[in-house]
Amino acid sequence: MLQYVAIVLIMLGLYGLLTQRNIIKIIVSLNILEIGVNLFIVSVGFVDGGLAPIFTSTYNSSVDFSFVDPLPQALVLTAIVIGVGTTALGLALAKNIYQKYGTFEIDEMGEE
Amino acid sequence: MSAILLIVVPLLAAFISILFKKASPYILLIVSFASVIVLGYIELEVITIGGFASPYGINLVFDQYSLIGLYIVNTLFFLVVAINCVKFKEMSTILLIALAGLNGLLLTGDLFNLFVFIEISGIAAYLITATNKNPLATFNYLVAGTVGSSLYLVGLIILYAMFGTLNMADMANEIAVSGVDASLVAFPFLLMFIGLGVEAKLLPFNSWVKGILASSNKLTGPIIASVYAATIGFVVGRLLTSVFVFSDTLGLVITIILLASIIAGEAMAFSSNKVREILLFSSIAQAGLVVLVFLQGFIGWGVFLVVANAAGKFILFTVTNHASDELGTDEVNDLKGLFVNNKIVGLAFTVASLSAIGLPVFLGFVVKMNILGDLFAEGNLFIPAVILITSVVEGIYFVRLLIKLWYKEHDLPVVQYDFIIKYVVVILAILIMVFGVYTAPIETEANDLDLISFVEGGNL
Repeated sequence: MLQYVAIVLIMLGLYGLLTQRNIIKIIVSLNILEIGVNLFIVSVGFVDGGLAPIFTSTYNSSVDFSFVDPLPQALVLTAIVIGVGTTALGLALAKNIYQKYGTFEIDEMGEE
Repeated sequence: MSAILLIVVPLLAAFISILFKKASPYILLIVSFASVIVLGYIELEVITIGGFASPYGINLVFDQYSLIGLYIVNTLFFLVVAINCVKFKEMSTILLIALAGLNGLLLTGDLFNLFVFIEISGIAAYLITATNKNPLATFNYLVAGTVGSSLYLVGLIILYAMFGTLNMADMANEIAVSGVDASLVAFPFLLMFIGLGVEAKLLPFNSWVKGILASSNKLTGPIIASVYAATIGFVVGRLLTSVFVFSDTLGLVITIILLASIIAGEAMAFSSNKVREILLFSSIAQAGLVVLVFLQGFIGWGVFLVVANAAGKFILFTVTNHASDELGTDEVNDLKGLFVNNKIVGLAFTVASLSAIGLPVFLGFVVKMNILGDLFAEGNLFIPAVILITSVVEGIYFVRLLIKLWYKEHDLPVVQYDFIIKYVVVILAILIMVFGVYTAPIETEANDLDLISFVEGGNL
Protein backbone atom coordinates (compact mmCIF):
# COMPACT_ATOMS: atom_id res chain seq x y z
CA MET A 1 0.00 0.00 0.00
CA LEU A 2 2.83 2.33 0.96
CA GLN A 3 4.32 1.89 -2.52
CA TYR A 4 1.28 3.49 -4.13
CA VAL A 5 1.56 6.55 -1.90
CA ALA A 6 5.24 6.80 -2.79
CA ILE A 7 4.53 6.51 -6.52
CA VAL A 8 1.81 9.17 -6.25
CA LEU A 9 4.34 11.48 -4.54
CA ILE A 10 6.94 10.80 -7.26
CA MET A 11 4.38 11.60 -9.97
CA LEU A 12 3.28 14.73 -8.09
CA GLY A 13 6.91 15.87 -7.95
CA LEU A 14 7.42 15.24 -11.67
CA TYR A 15 4.18 17.09 -12.46
CA GLY A 16 5.35 20.04 -10.40
CA LEU A 17 8.73 20.07 -12.15
CA LEU A 18 7.10 20.07 -15.57
CA THR A 19 4.44 22.73 -14.88
CA GLN A 20 5.92 25.19 -12.39
CA ARG A 21 7.91 28.17 -13.67
CA ASN A 22 8.99 29.53 -10.29
CA ILE A 23 12.46 28.62 -9.00
CA ILE A 24 11.34 28.04 -5.40
CA LYS A 25 8.34 25.96 -6.48
CA ILE A 26 10.66 23.85 -8.66
CA ILE A 27 12.87 23.20 -5.62
CA VAL A 28 9.78 22.23 -3.59
CA SER A 29 8.70 19.85 -6.38
CA LEU A 30 12.18 18.36 -6.39
CA ASN A 31 11.84 17.72 -2.65
CA ILE A 32 8.45 16.07 -3.06
CA LEU A 33 9.97 13.82 -5.73
CA GLU A 34 12.84 12.91 -3.42
CA ILE A 35 10.51 12.18 -0.49
CA GLY A 36 8.50 9.91 -2.77
CA VAL A 37 11.66 8.07 -3.81
CA ASN A 38 12.78 7.72 -0.18
CA LEU A 39 9.38 6.36 0.90
CA PHE A 40 9.50 3.92 -2.00
CA ILE A 41 12.90 2.67 -0.89
CA VAL A 42 11.76 2.16 2.71
CA SER A 43 8.58 0.42 1.59
CA VAL A 44 10.62 -2.16 -0.32
CA GLY A 45 12.20 -3.41 2.92
CA PHE A 46 8.92 -3.52 4.88
CA VAL A 47 7.77 -6.89 6.18
CA ASP A 48 4.26 -7.24 7.59
CA GLY A 49 4.58 -7.73 11.35
CA GLY A 50 8.37 -7.41 11.16
CA LEU A 51 10.59 -6.18 13.98
CA ALA A 52 13.19 -3.45 13.98
CA PRO A 53 16.37 -5.16 12.76
CA ILE A 54 18.27 -5.00 16.07
CA PHE A 55 19.54 -7.97 18.06
CA THR A 56 18.44 -7.42 21.67
CA SER A 57 18.60 -9.58 24.81
CA THR A 58 14.88 -10.36 24.43
CA TYR A 59 15.31 -11.58 20.87
CA ASN A 60 14.60 -15.27 20.63
CA SER A 61 15.49 -16.88 17.34
CA SER A 62 13.42 -20.01 18.09
CA VAL A 63 10.22 -17.96 18.01
CA ASP A 64 9.54 -17.00 14.41
CA PHE A 65 10.23 -13.31 14.45
CA SER A 66 11.02 -11.76 11.11
CA PHE A 67 13.07 -8.61 10.79
CA VAL A 68 12.34 -5.86 8.30
CA ASP A 69 15.11 -5.48 5.71
CA PRO A 70 17.71 -3.07 7.19
CA LEU A 71 19.52 -2.39 3.91
CA PRO A 72 16.91 -0.05 2.34
CA GLN A 73 16.90 1.92 5.60
CA ALA A 74 20.65 2.41 5.29
CA LEU A 75 20.25 3.39 1.65
CA VAL A 76 17.52 5.89 2.42
CA LEU A 77 19.70 7.54 5.04
CA THR A 78 22.32 8.22 2.37
CA ALA A 79 19.69 9.38 -0.11
CA ILE A 80 18.20 11.83 2.42
CA VAL A 81 21.59 13.37 3.12
CA ILE A 82 22.30 13.76 -0.60
CA GLY A 83 18.83 15.27 -1.09
CA VAL A 84 19.45 17.85 1.62
CA GLY A 85 22.77 18.78 0.00
CA THR A 86 21.14 19.21 -3.39
CA THR A 87 18.34 21.32 -1.92
CA ALA A 88 20.80 23.58 -0.15
CA LEU A 89 22.76 24.03 -3.37
CA GLY A 90 19.54 24.71 -5.30
CA LEU A 91 18.53 27.41 -2.81
CA ALA A 92 21.99 28.98 -3.04
CA LEU A 93 21.62 29.10 -6.82
CA ALA A 94 18.10 30.55 -6.39
CA LYS A 95 19.66 33.38 -4.38
CA ASN A 96 22.19 33.99 -7.17
CA ILE A 97 19.42 33.97 -9.77
CA TYR A 98 17.41 36.48 -7.72
CA GLN A 99 20.42 38.77 -7.42
CA LYS A 100 21.01 38.64 -11.17
CA TYR A 101 17.43 38.94 -12.45
CA GLY A 102 15.45 40.34 -9.48
CA THR A 103 12.74 37.69 -9.82
CA PHE A 104 12.07 34.01 -9.19
CA GLU A 105 9.78 33.62 -12.21
CA ILE A 106 11.66 31.99 -15.11
CA ASP A 107 9.29 33.61 -17.65
CA GLU A 108 10.20 37.11 -16.44
CA MET A 109 13.95 36.62 -16.82
CA GLY A 110 14.00 37.31 -20.53
CA GLU A 111 16.16 34.29 -21.32
CA GLU A 112 15.33 30.96 -22.88
CA MET B 1 49.29 0.49 -2.37
CA SER B 2 45.60 0.17 -2.71
CA ALA B 3 43.37 1.80 -5.31
CA ILE B 4 41.10 3.13 -2.57
CA LEU B 5 43.71 5.86 -2.02
CA LEU B 6 42.58 7.37 -5.32
CA ILE B 7 39.26 8.23 -3.65
CA VAL B 8 40.35 8.81 -0.08
CA VAL B 9 43.34 11.09 -0.64
CA PRO B 10 41.48 13.70 -2.75
CA LEU B 11 38.64 13.74 -0.18
CA LEU B 12 41.08 14.21 2.70
CA ALA B 13 42.94 16.86 0.71
CA ALA B 14 39.64 18.64 0.09
CA PHE B 15 39.11 19.00 3.85
CA ILE B 16 42.72 20.07 4.41
CA SER B 17 42.47 22.65 1.62
CA ILE B 18 39.66 24.38 3.52
CA LEU B 19 42.01 24.89 6.47
CA PHE B 20 44.87 26.18 4.33
CA LYS B 21 43.09 28.40 1.82
CA LYS B 22 46.27 29.97 0.42
CA ALA B 23 47.91 26.64 -0.32
CA SER B 24 44.80 25.04 -1.80
CA PRO B 25 45.75 25.41 -5.51
CA TYR B 26 49.08 23.71 -4.81
CA ILE B 27 47.40 20.92 -2.82
CA LEU B 28 45.09 20.38 -5.79
CA LEU B 29 47.97 20.37 -8.25
CA ILE B 30 50.03 17.93 -6.17
CA VAL B 31 47.14 15.55 -5.45
CA SER B 32 45.95 15.41 -9.06
CA PHE B 33 49.50 14.85 -10.31
CA ALA B 34 50.11 12.17 -7.69
CA SER B 35 46.90 10.37 -8.74
CA VAL B 36 48.32 9.94 -12.24
CA ILE B 37 51.74 8.78 -11.06
CA VAL B 38 50.41 6.41 -8.39
CA LEU B 39 48.37 4.48 -10.99
CA GLY B 40 51.58 2.86 -12.21
CA TYR B 41 52.28 1.39 -8.78
CA ILE B 42 48.92 -0.16 -7.93
CA GLU B 43 48.34 -3.81 -8.59
CA LEU B 44 45.16 -4.92 -10.32
CA GLU B 45 42.82 -6.29 -7.67
CA VAL B 46 39.32 -6.24 -6.26
CA ILE B 47 39.21 -4.33 -3.00
CA THR B 48 36.76 -5.36 -0.31
CA ILE B 49 35.68 -2.47 1.87
CA GLY B 50 34.91 -2.84 5.56
CA GLY B 51 35.68 -6.57 5.66
CA PHE B 52 32.35 -7.72 4.23
CA ALA B 53 32.82 -10.13 1.33
CA SER B 54 31.72 -9.08 -2.10
CA PRO B 55 27.97 -9.57 -2.60
CA TYR B 56 27.21 -8.17 0.90
CA GLY B 57 29.78 -5.41 1.19
CA ILE B 58 30.85 -2.73 -1.25
CA ASN B 59 33.79 -3.60 -3.46
CA LEU B 60 35.98 -1.55 -5.76
CA VAL B 61 37.00 -3.21 -9.02
CA PHE B 62 40.44 -2.13 -10.18
CA ASP B 63 40.79 -4.09 -13.41
CA GLN B 64 42.20 -3.46 -16.89
CA TYR B 65 39.06 -1.54 -17.89
CA SER B 66 39.03 0.85 -14.94
CA LEU B 67 42.82 1.25 -15.19
CA ILE B 68 42.51 2.74 -18.71
CA GLY B 69 39.63 4.93 -17.54
CA LEU B 70 41.59 6.15 -14.52
CA TYR B 71 44.67 6.95 -16.61
CA ILE B 72 42.66 9.00 -19.12
CA VAL B 73 40.45 10.80 -16.60
CA ASN B 74 43.22 11.58 -14.12
CA THR B 75 45.62 12.76 -16.82
CA LEU B 76 43.06 15.07 -18.44
CA PHE B 77 41.95 16.28 -15.01
CA PHE B 78 45.54 17.14 -14.13
CA LEU B 79 45.96 19.04 -17.41
CA VAL B 80 42.74 21.04 -16.82
CA VAL B 81 43.95 21.85 -13.31
CA ALA B 82 47.41 22.81 -14.53
CA ILE B 83 45.91 25.30 -16.98
CA ASN B 84 43.36 26.76 -14.55
CA CYS B 85 44.61 26.47 -10.97
CA VAL B 86 45.89 30.04 -10.82
CA LYS B 87 42.80 31.70 -12.28
CA PHE B 88 40.21 29.65 -10.36
CA LYS B 89 41.84 29.50 -6.90
CA GLU B 90 38.51 29.37 -5.09
CA MET B 91 37.45 26.19 -6.93
CA SER B 92 40.35 24.07 -5.58
CA THR B 93 38.35 22.33 -2.84
CA ILE B 94 35.48 21.55 -5.18
CA LEU B 95 37.82 20.24 -7.87
CA LEU B 96 39.36 17.87 -5.30
CA ILE B 97 35.91 16.54 -4.43
CA ALA B 98 35.16 16.18 -8.14
CA LEU B 99 38.36 14.13 -8.53
CA ALA B 100 37.31 11.82 -5.69
CA GLY B 101 33.86 11.40 -7.22
CA LEU B 102 35.18 10.70 -10.71
CA ASN B 103 37.71 8.12 -9.48
CA GLY B 104 34.94 6.51 -7.43
CA LEU B 105 32.66 6.30 -10.47
CA LEU B 106 35.35 4.47 -12.41
CA LEU B 107 36.28 2.12 -9.58
CA THR B 108 33.06 1.12 -7.88
CA GLY B 109 31.60 -2.33 -8.31
CA ASP B 110 28.36 -1.60 -6.50
CA LEU B 111 25.26 -0.04 -8.03
CA PHE B 112 24.20 2.01 -5.00
CA ASN B 113 27.75 3.18 -4.44
CA LEU B 114 27.66 4.30 -8.07
CA PHE B 115 24.61 6.45 -7.26
CA VAL B 116 26.48 8.06 -4.37
CA PHE B 117 29.47 8.85 -6.59
CA ILE B 118 27.18 10.19 -9.34
CA GLU B 119 25.78 12.61 -6.76
CA ILE B 120 29.20 13.57 -5.35
CA SER B 121 30.64 14.29 -8.78
CA GLY B 122 27.33 15.84 -9.83
CA ILE B 123 27.21 18.32 -6.94
CA ALA B 124 30.85 19.19 -7.63
CA ALA B 125 29.94 19.72 -11.30
CA TYR B 126 27.05 22.07 -10.41
CA LEU B 127 29.42 24.13 -8.28
CA ILE B 128 32.12 24.16 -10.97
CA THR B 129 29.63 25.32 -13.61
CA ALA B 130 28.57 28.13 -11.28
CA THR B 131 31.76 29.88 -12.47
CA ASN B 132 30.02 30.37 -15.83
CA LYS B 133 28.13 33.26 -14.17
CA ASN B 134 24.94 31.85 -15.66
CA PRO B 135 23.05 30.65 -12.54
CA LEU B 136 19.88 29.79 -14.45
CA ALA B 137 21.71 27.27 -16.64
CA THR B 138 23.40 25.79 -13.56
CA PHE B 139 20.01 25.51 -11.88
CA ASN B 140 18.61 23.67 -14.91
CA TYR B 141 21.59 21.31 -14.76
CA LEU B 142 20.95 20.72 -11.04
CA VAL B 143 17.26 19.93 -11.59
CA ALA B 144 17.96 17.63 -14.54
CA GLY B 145 20.78 15.87 -12.71
CA THR B 146 18.76 15.38 -9.52
CA VAL B 147 15.69 14.04 -11.33
CA GLY B 148 17.93 11.74 -13.36
CA SER B 149 19.66 10.29 -10.33
CA SER B 150 16.33 9.91 -8.50
CA LEU B 151 15.01 7.85 -11.42
CA TYR B 152 18.24 5.82 -11.36
CA LEU B 153 17.63 5.17 -7.66
CA VAL B 154 14.02 4.04 -8.23
CA GLY B 155 15.15 1.65 -10.97
CA LEU B 156 17.93 0.34 -8.73
CA ILE B 157 15.56 -0.29 -5.83
CA ILE B 158 13.14 -2.19 -8.06
CA LEU B 159 16.06 -4.38 -9.14
CA TYR B 160 17.08 -4.82 -5.49
CA ALA B 161 13.55 -5.91 -4.59
CA MET B 162 13.60 -8.42 -7.47
CA PHE B 163 17.08 -9.89 -7.05
CA GLY B 164 18.18 -8.97 -3.52
CA THR B 165 21.62 -7.66 -4.44
CA LEU B 166 23.31 -4.38 -5.26
CA ASN B 167 26.66 -5.68 -6.44
CA MET B 168 27.13 -5.25 -10.20
CA ALA B 169 28.70 -8.62 -10.90
CA ASP B 170 26.31 -10.42 -8.58
CA MET B 171 23.34 -8.61 -10.15
CA ALA B 172 24.40 -9.66 -13.66
CA ASN B 173 24.83 -13.21 -12.39
CA GLU B 174 21.46 -13.28 -10.59
CA ILE B 175 19.63 -11.97 -13.65
CA ALA B 176 21.23 -14.63 -15.83
CA VAL B 177 20.62 -17.47 -13.34
CA SER B 178 17.05 -16.56 -12.45
CA GLY B 179 16.04 -16.60 -16.11
CA VAL B 180 13.63 -13.70 -15.57
CA ASP B 181 11.79 -12.61 -18.69
CA ALA B 182 13.55 -9.65 -20.29
CA SER B 183 10.33 -7.62 -20.35
CA LEU B 184 10.18 -7.71 -16.52
CA VAL B 185 13.55 -6.06 -16.05
CA ALA B 186 13.02 -3.65 -18.95
CA PHE B 187 11.34 -1.02 -16.78
CA PRO B 188 14.00 -0.73 -14.06
CA PHE B 189 16.74 -0.82 -16.71
CA LEU B 190 15.02 1.98 -18.59
CA LEU B 191 14.76 4.10 -15.42
CA MET B 192 18.47 3.58 -14.70
CA PHE B 193 19.36 4.25 -18.32
CA ILE B 194 17.46 7.55 -18.19
CA GLY B 195 19.32 8.49 -15.02
CA LEU B 196 22.68 7.84 -16.66
CA GLY B 197 21.43 9.40 -19.92
CA VAL B 198 21.07 12.78 -18.22
CA GLU B 199 24.76 12.77 -17.30
CA ALA B 200 25.79 11.17 -20.59
CA LYS B 201 24.08 13.94 -22.63
CA LEU B 202 21.72 11.60 -24.53
CA LEU B 203 19.03 13.18 -26.63
CA PRO B 204 15.77 13.66 -24.70
CA PHE B 205 17.52 14.36 -21.40
CA ASN B 206 20.22 16.80 -22.45
CA SER B 207 18.47 20.16 -22.34
CA TRP B 208 20.96 21.33 -19.72
CA VAL B 209 24.00 20.91 -22.00
CA LYS B 210 23.35 23.95 -24.16
CA GLY B 211 23.05 26.34 -21.22
CA ILE B 212 26.17 24.99 -19.53
CA LEU B 213 28.58 24.57 -22.44
CA ALA B 214 27.43 27.55 -24.54
CA SER B 215 28.49 29.88 -21.71
CA SER B 216 31.41 27.76 -20.55
CA ASN B 217 34.82 29.16 -19.69
CA LYS B 218 38.35 27.77 -19.78
CA LEU B 219 37.66 25.58 -16.74
CA THR B 220 34.10 24.33 -17.24
CA GLY B 221 34.34 23.57 -20.97
CA PRO B 222 37.16 21.01 -20.80
CA ILE B 223 35.98 19.59 -17.45
CA ILE B 224 32.36 18.94 -18.47
CA ALA B 225 32.88 18.12 -22.16
CA SER B 226 36.04 16.07 -21.75
CA VAL B 227 36.70 14.78 -18.22
CA TYR B 228 33.10 14.19 -17.08
CA ALA B 229 32.05 12.91 -20.51
CA ALA B 230 34.89 10.37 -20.51
CA THR B 231 34.02 9.16 -17.00
CA ILE B 232 30.32 8.72 -17.76
CA GLY B 233 31.29 7.02 -21.02
CA PHE B 234 33.30 4.43 -19.11
CA VAL B 235 30.50 3.93 -16.54
CA VAL B 236 27.81 3.49 -19.21
CA GLY B 237 30.14 1.15 -21.08
CA ARG B 238 30.62 -1.09 -18.06
CA LEU B 239 26.91 -1.20 -17.22
CA LEU B 240 25.71 -1.73 -20.80
CA THR B 241 28.19 -4.45 -21.68
CA SER B 242 28.36 -6.32 -18.39
CA VAL B 243 25.33 -5.73 -16.17
CA PHE B 244 22.26 -4.75 -18.16
CA VAL B 245 20.83 -7.25 -20.59
CA PHE B 246 18.60 -5.36 -22.97
CA SER B 247 15.95 -7.40 -24.71
CA ASP B 248 15.74 -7.14 -28.50
CA THR B 249 12.80 -4.75 -28.54
CA LEU B 250 14.14 -2.44 -25.86
CA GLY B 251 17.57 -2.56 -27.48
CA LEU B 252 16.02 -1.55 -30.80
CA VAL B 253 14.10 1.35 -29.24
CA ILE B 254 17.24 2.64 -27.52
CA THR B 255 19.28 2.21 -30.71
CA ILE B 256 16.79 4.35 -32.62
CA ILE B 257 16.81 7.03 -29.89
CA LEU B 258 20.62 7.05 -29.98
CA LEU B 259 20.69 7.34 -33.78
CA ALA B 260 18.24 10.24 -33.53
CA SER B 261 20.54 11.77 -30.90
CA ILE B 262 23.52 11.51 -33.25
CA ILE B 263 21.67 12.95 -36.26
CA ALA B 264 20.08 15.77 -34.26
CA GLY B 265 23.42 16.68 -32.65
CA GLU B 266 25.25 16.86 -35.97
CA ALA B 267 22.40 18.79 -37.60
CA MET B 268 22.33 21.36 -34.79
CA ALA B 269 26.11 21.71 -34.96
CA PHE B 270 25.87 22.22 -38.72
CA SER B 271 23.40 25.09 -38.31
CA SER B 272 25.23 26.89 -35.46
CA ASN B 273 27.15 30.11 -35.89
CA LYS B 274 28.90 30.07 -32.54
CA VAL B 275 32.07 28.08 -32.02
CA ARG B 276 31.13 26.80 -28.57
CA GLU B 277 27.68 25.72 -29.79
CA ILE B 278 29.21 23.83 -32.73
CA LEU B 279 31.50 22.00 -30.32
CA LEU B 280 28.78 21.24 -27.76
CA PHE B 281 26.34 19.84 -30.32
CA SER B 282 29.16 17.81 -31.80
CA SER B 283 29.88 16.41 -28.34
CA ILE B 284 26.20 15.48 -27.92
CA ALA B 285 26.42 13.51 -31.16
CA GLN B 286 29.66 11.85 -30.04
CA ALA B 287 28.09 10.90 -26.69
CA GLY B 288 25.25 9.19 -28.57
CA LEU B 289 27.79 7.35 -30.72
CA VAL B 290 29.73 6.16 -27.66
CA VAL B 291 26.63 4.68 -26.02
CA LEU B 292 25.56 3.14 -29.34
CA VAL B 293 28.92 1.41 -29.77
CA PHE B 294 28.77 0.01 -26.22
CA LEU B 295 25.17 -1.08 -26.80
CA GLN B 296 26.34 -3.10 -29.81
CA GLY B 297 28.79 -4.83 -27.46
CA PHE B 298 32.11 -3.48 -28.76
CA ILE B 299 33.95 -2.84 -25.51
CA GLY B 300 37.49 -2.35 -26.82
CA TRP B 301 36.78 0.14 -29.56
CA GLY B 302 34.11 1.83 -27.46
CA VAL B 303 36.78 2.56 -24.86
CA PHE B 304 39.09 4.06 -27.47
CA LEU B 305 36.25 6.12 -28.94
CA VAL B 306 35.78 7.61 -25.46
CA VAL B 307 39.52 8.24 -25.22
CA ALA B 308 39.74 9.86 -28.68
CA ASN B 309 36.72 12.05 -27.92
CA ALA B 310 38.02 13.12 -24.54
CA ALA B 311 41.43 14.11 -25.91
CA GLY B 312 39.94 15.88 -28.93
CA LYS B 313 37.26 17.79 -27.03
CA PHE B 314 39.86 18.83 -24.45
CA ILE B 315 41.93 20.57 -27.15
CA LEU B 316 38.90 22.09 -28.92
CA PHE B 317 37.25 23.48 -25.80
CA THR B 318 40.49 24.74 -24.23
CA VAL B 319 41.48 26.65 -27.38
CA THR B 320 38.00 28.04 -28.09
CA ASN B 321 37.11 28.96 -24.53
CA HIS B 322 40.41 30.75 -23.95
CA ALA B 323 39.75 32.85 -27.06
CA SER B 324 36.15 33.57 -26.13
CA ASP B 325 37.13 34.43 -22.53
CA GLU B 326 39.61 36.99 -23.88
CA LEU B 327 37.39 38.43 -26.61
CA GLY B 328 34.03 38.12 -24.85
CA THR B 329 32.38 36.53 -27.89
CA ASP B 330 32.31 33.17 -29.61
CA GLU B 331 30.63 34.09 -32.91
CA VAL B 332 32.55 32.40 -35.72
CA ASN B 333 32.69 35.70 -37.62
CA ASP B 334 34.28 37.52 -34.68
CA LEU B 335 36.90 34.83 -34.29
CA LYS B 336 37.86 34.83 -37.99
CA GLY B 337 41.60 34.67 -38.46
CA LEU B 338 42.21 33.56 -34.87
CA PHE B 339 44.97 31.15 -35.85
CA VAL B 340 46.89 33.46 -38.19
CA ASN B 341 49.00 34.67 -35.27
CA ASN B 342 48.61 31.52 -33.19
CA LYS B 343 49.83 28.91 -35.62
CA ILE B 344 50.89 26.27 -33.09
CA VAL B 345 47.59 26.31 -31.22
CA GLY B 346 45.80 26.40 -34.57
CA LEU B 347 47.61 23.27 -35.73
CA ALA B 348 46.59 21.42 -32.55
CA PHE B 349 42.98 22.57 -33.03
CA THR B 350 43.08 21.36 -36.63
CA VAL B 351 44.44 17.96 -35.61
CA ALA B 352 41.72 17.55 -32.98
CA SER B 353 38.89 18.50 -35.33
CA LEU B 354 40.18 16.34 -38.19
CA SER B 355 40.46 13.43 -35.75
CA ALA B 356 36.85 14.05 -34.66
CA ILE B 357 35.74 13.82 -38.29
CA GLY B 358 37.74 10.60 -38.67
CA LEU B 359 40.31 11.42 -41.32
CA PRO B 360 43.27 9.05 -41.75
CA VAL B 361 46.56 9.55 -39.84
CA PHE B 362 44.56 10.54 -36.73
CA LEU B 363 43.32 8.46 -33.79
CA GLY B 364 39.66 9.10 -34.62
CA PHE B 365 40.10 7.38 -37.97
CA VAL B 366 41.52 4.17 -36.50
CA VAL B 367 38.66 3.97 -33.99
CA LYS B 368 35.87 4.76 -36.46
CA MET B 369 37.24 2.41 -39.11
CA ASN B 370 37.44 -0.52 -36.71
CA ILE B 371 33.94 0.13 -35.36
CA LEU B 372 32.55 0.28 -38.90
CA GLY B 373 34.48 -2.86 -39.85
CA ASP B 374 33.05 -4.75 -36.85
CA LEU B 375 29.52 -3.55 -37.66
CA PHE B 376 29.86 -4.62 -41.30
CA ALA B 377 31.21 -7.99 -40.18
CA GLU B 378 28.02 -8.47 -38.19
CA GLY B 379 25.99 -7.76 -41.32
CA ASN B 380 24.64 -4.55 -39.84
CA LEU B 381 24.27 -1.93 -42.59
CA PHE B 382 21.89 0.68 -41.17
CA ILE B 383 24.04 1.91 -38.26
CA PRO B 384 27.24 2.25 -40.39
CA ALA B 385 25.23 4.22 -42.95
CA VAL B 386 24.10 6.70 -40.28
CA ILE B 387 27.64 6.95 -38.85
CA LEU B 388 29.14 7.60 -42.31
CA ILE B 389 26.53 10.20 -43.32
CA THR B 390 26.89 12.08 -40.03
CA SER B 391 30.69 11.95 -40.45
CA VAL B 392 30.28 13.75 -43.77
CA VAL B 393 28.10 16.42 -42.11
CA GLU B 394 30.69 16.69 -39.34
CA GLY B 395 33.40 17.06 -41.97
CA ILE B 396 31.55 19.92 -43.67
CA TYR B 397 31.02 22.04 -40.57
CA PHE B 398 34.45 21.40 -39.08
CA VAL B 399 36.24 22.24 -42.34
CA ARG B 400 34.05 25.34 -42.75
CA LEU B 401 34.97 26.37 -39.20
CA LEU B 402 38.68 25.70 -39.78
CA ILE B 403 38.76 27.76 -43.00
CA LYS B 404 37.18 30.72 -41.21
CA LEU B 405 39.54 30.46 -38.25
CA TRP B 406 42.67 30.20 -40.43
CA TYR B 407 42.10 32.79 -43.18
CA LYS B 408 41.70 36.54 -42.81
CA GLU B 409 43.89 39.34 -44.06
CA HIS B 410 43.45 42.22 -41.59
CA ASP B 411 41.64 43.16 -38.35
CA LEU B 412 42.87 39.94 -36.76
CA PRO B 413 41.53 39.15 -33.28
CA VAL B 414 44.25 39.52 -30.66
CA VAL B 415 44.44 36.49 -28.40
CA GLN B 416 47.54 35.48 -26.45
CA TYR B 417 47.85 31.83 -25.44
CA ASP B 418 50.03 31.14 -22.40
CA PHE B 419 52.94 28.79 -22.65
CA ILE B 420 51.17 26.08 -20.66
CA ILE B 421 48.11 25.93 -22.93
CA LYS B 422 50.33 25.70 -25.99
CA TYR B 423 52.41 22.97 -24.42
CA VAL B 424 49.41 20.87 -23.30
CA VAL B 425 47.40 21.06 -26.52
CA VAL B 426 50.43 20.34 -28.69
CA ILE B 427 51.38 17.26 -26.67
CA LEU B 428 47.81 15.95 -26.87
CA ALA B 429 47.67 16.66 -30.62
CA ILE B 430 50.95 14.81 -31.15
CA LEU B 431 49.61 11.84 -29.18
CA ILE B 432 46.46 11.80 -31.35
CA MET B 433 48.67 11.69 -34.44
CA VAL B 434 51.13 9.12 -33.07
CA PHE B 435 48.42 6.65 -32.15
CA GLY B 436 46.69 7.34 -35.44
CA VAL B 437 49.71 5.90 -37.25
CA TYR B 438 51.21 3.47 -34.75
CA THR B 439 48.06 1.44 -34.15
CA ALA B 440 49.51 -1.85 -32.88
CA PRO B 441 49.26 -1.13 -29.11
CA ILE B 442 45.68 0.14 -29.41
CA GLU B 443 44.58 -2.88 -31.39
CA THR B 444 46.08 -5.32 -28.89
CA GLU B 445 44.51 -3.45 -25.98
CA ALA B 446 41.10 -3.29 -27.69
CA ASN B 447 41.18 -7.03 -28.37
CA ASP B 448 42.14 -7.69 -24.74
CA LEU B 449 39.24 -5.57 -23.53
CA ASP B 450 36.81 -7.37 -25.82
CA LEU B 451 37.53 -10.53 -23.86
CA ILE B 452 36.45 -8.80 -20.65
CA SER B 453 34.00 -10.75 -18.60
CA PHE B 454 32.77 -8.80 -15.65
CA VAL B 455 32.29 -11.72 -13.33
CA GLU B 456 33.07 -11.40 -9.66
CA GLY B 457 36.62 -10.15 -9.55
CA GLY B 458 36.49 -8.25 -12.83
CA ASN B 459 38.96 -8.60 -15.65
CA LEU B 460 42.25 -8.75 -13.80
